[in-house]
Amino acid sequence: MSDTEARRRLSDWFHRWHTPLRRFLIGKTALPVADLDDVSQEVFLRLLRYGQTELVEQPQAYLFKIASNVAAEWSMRARSRHPHDSNWLANLIVEDLPEEDAARESSQREIERAINTLSPRYREVLKLQFAEGLGHSEIAARLGTSPRSVKRYIRKSYEKLRVELESELPGAVNHGRR
Amino acid sequence: MDAGERRARACAEAAEWWLQLQAREMSHSEREQFVKWLRESAVHVAEMLRIAHVHNALAQFERWARISTAGSAAETVVEFPQERATPSEGSERGGRPPRRMVVVGAIAASMLGIGALTLFLPSSNGRTLETERGERREVTLSDGSMLQLDPQTKLRVKFAEQTRRIVLERGRALFRVEKDPHRPFIVETDGTTVRAVGTAFAVDNYQQNIIVTVAEGRVLVAPLPRLAALSEPAQSASQGGGNAASRAPGAIALSANQQLTLGRKGALEAVRKVDSQRELAWTKGRLVLDNVTVAAAIAALNRYNRVQLRVADEVLAARRVSGVFDTSDPESFVAFVQTVVAVRVLRATDHDITIASVD
Repeated sequence: MSDTEARRRLSDWFHRWHTPLRRFLIGKTALPVADLDDVSQEVFLRLLRYGQTELVEQPQAYLFKIASNVAAEWSMRARSRHPHDSNWLANLIVEDLPEEDAARESSQREIERAINTLSPRYREVLKLQFAEGLGHSEIAARLGTSPRSVKRYIRKSYEKLRVELESELPGAVNHGRR
Repeated sequence: MDAGERRARACAEAAEWWLQLQAREMSHSEREQFVKWLRESAVHVAEMLRIAHVHNALAQFERWARISTAGSAAETVVEFPQERATPSEGSERGGRPPRRMVVVGAIAASMLGIGALTLFLPSSNGRTLETERGERREVTLSDGSMLQLDPQTKLRVKFAEQTRRIVLERGRALFRVEKDPHRPFIVETDGTTVRAVGTAFAVDNYQQNIIVTVAEGRVLVAPLPRLAALSEPAQSASQGGGNAASRAPGAIALSANQQLTLGRKGALEAVRKVDSQRELAWTKGRLVLDNVTVAAAIAALNRYNRVQLRVADEVLAARRVSGVFDTSDPESFVAFVQTVVAVRVLRATDHDITIASVD
């Protein structure tokens, strides 16, 4: 599979469940990571209620759709618990908010800090993927390694970052609240 | 398994799924497995959502320019097969008994073999480079890779479209390999094959054993079942990543400043941590002696010089010395020996110096 093809498929794939994922991640109802466990519990229960055949069709789309719904309900409840910040926040669109600059700044700093806990090789792989938009094979070629190790680097990075970003979650997910 | 371990494991699995979701269209059975996994535990769901968050954090990160990647070295793989499996390296060696094979190779060698148009030498037998006693030579190859040959070294350069192959017949050389993942750089010596992309390492075949020293990058040493696999790097690549080395059981990782000695029987000693600067001091014309016998020191020095040293008696020959010497200056070694032990120096000719114990 060529990289171009791989990327095209990736983008197809992404489009199919992009919206629910995006809504889940950075919509106005996005959640702080601290709440993820509670949300997950609910998402899990709902997943159990769906039919196997249905889910298997597009598992990721279902997963993020459900997650996004649960998050929305969750954040509604949260807003009613925190009435002060709810009204104006509810109307915000995440992407173009001067008011969000501070939050964004801190989230960028936090992500930077987390990335810098990785060793150089891992940072380079991530940089090639996210800053230069290269596919796994291209990254492998660039670094003189195999696509398989590139995947390993990415996987390990995610695991590490997941721990690093646990407490302070990057801005986007905090937009909806607090 | 406690809760923390379970979570860590779920996280690893989630990351794996995340990559798989991205890599390609999943088959029906893969999607079934994914659903099954998700429905196994709320922890799985939570970890999946967290990984999505991590991905999102990276995707919205804007300061990549500030992220330093200094120190990210090439990752390289070393493979060694137990036996020479095919006589593919020319029939002139066909009559010799099977030997173990060693490959130092880059994982990257397993990239898709998209035919890169490259210069290669016309003759399949390649060009022969040879240094004599006292001669050292640096050669830049057509691909930009640099070879540094120590004295009494002979090698053949056989570049082709798909591979860059060097046959080190004797001696030792340092290889600074120009990166080209589509065209693995392979060094063969006496049944040992060293494959690399974009790294620097030395292969020493002066003595009984073959010594591979890595100066830059990382290598993995693993059994390689067949020589043929080496010459078809593209094939293993197109089968979905990794190569013989990364799949091979019992792989040993070698990184910069590590050294591996391969015995004749294919038995591997443990990987040693070395100071590669020191180990490869010979590439800079220096001889580092660390508690070696006078006999061994002289043998090493003699390779570099027309002036030949001899040692007259066994007592002196067995004496151990340490020090750093200029390889082109045997006299300084003689002078040094004189400072640590009483010796007589006999000069038969300008080029023939014998040292002996004083009775």
